Amino acid sequence: MANENQKKFAFFPGCLIPVRYPQMEAAIRKTLPKLGVDVVDLAGFTCCPDPIYFKSYDKTAWLAVAARNLAVAEEAGLNVFTICSGCTATLSETYQQLNTNKKLKDEINMRLARVGKEYKGTATIRHVATLIRDEVGIEAVAASVVRPLEGLKVAIHYGCHLLKPSHVMRVDDPDDPHILDDLVAELGATPVRHEEWILCCGKACKHEEAPPAMMYDLLKSVAAVEADVLGVVCPSCFNEFDLGQVRLARQYDDETLKTPAVYYFQLLGLAQGLTLEEVGLHRHKVRAPALEKYSAAAV
Amino acid sequence: MPPKKNKKKREEGPTVTIDFEFKKLVEKVVDGTLVNYCYQCGACVGDCPSARYVEGFNPREIMLKVLYGFGEELVGPASPAWQCTNCYNCYERCPQNVKPVEIIIAVKNLMAQRGIYPAKAQVGDLVNTVLETGRTAPVTAMTTKLREELGLAPLEAIDTAELKKILE
Ligand code: SF4
Ligand code: SF4
Repeated sequence: MANENQKKFAFFPGCLIPVRYPQMEAAIRKTLPKLGVDVVDLAGFTCCPDPIYFKSYDKTAWLAVAARNLAVAEEAGLNVFTICSGCTATLSETYQQLNTNKKLKDEINMRLARVGKEYKGTATIRHVATLIRDEVGIEAVAASVVRPLEGLKVAIHYGCHLLKPSHVMRVDDPDDPHILDDLVAELGATPVRHEEWILCCGKACKHEEAPPAMMYDLLKSVAAVEADVLGVVCPSCFNEFDLGQVRLARQYDDETLKTPAVYYFQLLGLAQGLTLEEVGLHRHKVRAPALEKYSAAAV
Repeated sequence: MPPKKNKKKREEGPTVTIDFEFKKLVEKVVDGTLVNYCYQCGACVGDCPSARYVEGFNPREIMLKVLYGFGEELVGPASPAWQCTNCYNCYERCPQNVKPVEIIIAVKNLMAQRGIYPAKAQVGDLVNTVLETGRTAPVTAMTTKLREELGLAPLEAIDTAELKKILE
């Protein structure tokens, strides 16, 4: 697929998506080349590592593992793109911390020296949404669409880690983001904001007190806008809105909780002419009947 | 007439003994020193989802406890730290760049050092899984099946020798 006009980026797949939600990885691999991105796989990446539990265990160790991953991309001379908000958070914070704190960087590099690696701070990190907006140009999305998703109403949940801390993530205004709305609009679909759009999915504290009531408020707010699907870019949010929503609907005996969660790039795949099966939508716990007519439409 | 001296006697209140030792431990963790800039304004509380859903949870109070050195309340088995959703709203709102969520994570690091994290949060298990497999989630038969169905290459085992060395 690669040609000279395509921009090369190192693909950092993370572990949750390839292992648990490979439909998201498939959607990325099948859609990005049509936007002019050459998805380059590098050997040697590990878990980012996870910004919740691993970081809770030992922040310095967490930075060291992340710096090792970035060093792998540096050796290949490529900038990195991520497809999970958690990976984006880990790698972006590592970049920001180590590139502004020489002492910390030296400390981390002492650990990396044990395996012959060095973190230099030269590879930048981009979430795939900003990769499209800033490196490719968002117009490329509409240009790749062969089957506009006209009439499709997409409620959007940004999730926490894509946007915050905003000065580290540098993705969008955390109080009034629009990057995902814009990407949805490029498909011919209609983005809608739900009232509790800023609320957390609760994945990081799922065994504690807050999640059930918090998630119930969140998903009720999604149901209230009567969207066809709930668009997300984060595998953790996805899990809470897919399997989590089925459980919650049972727990609260509320059958209105049924807005199907979809990963943005699955929608892009449909709009580019792929079928529901090719982007793995038929595997979701909450099915999306509204998408069937697009999948069936001739290209 | 000489001006009246405003010499109201200070009311006696409860005495707080500040213990700086705990704060010093927090300060050793990355970003831990930032707690010193907390002036207790409470801006971190308004958009905190855990404060909204968990009675008694309050990031400003957690910062105060660190400053006072009430370590046992923070790192004991009933620590409020695990109730934090990690949403980063407090980080976004704090006018003093305290990064309250990072202080809460620093407190969790201290708990991990002492081996007192709640079993249900599975912190230790997750770190071990990463050390052994390079991933947080193990590859299962379902993974292989789904990947094949989608036309994706199977996932290969990750060599974790380097990981183990940098984490020694
Ligand atoms: S942490 Fe920041 S926002 Fe919270 S009380 Fe302290 S200074 Fe105010
Ligand atoms: S990160 Fe934790 S303390 Fe901060 S606002 Fe979110 S839930 Fe509250």
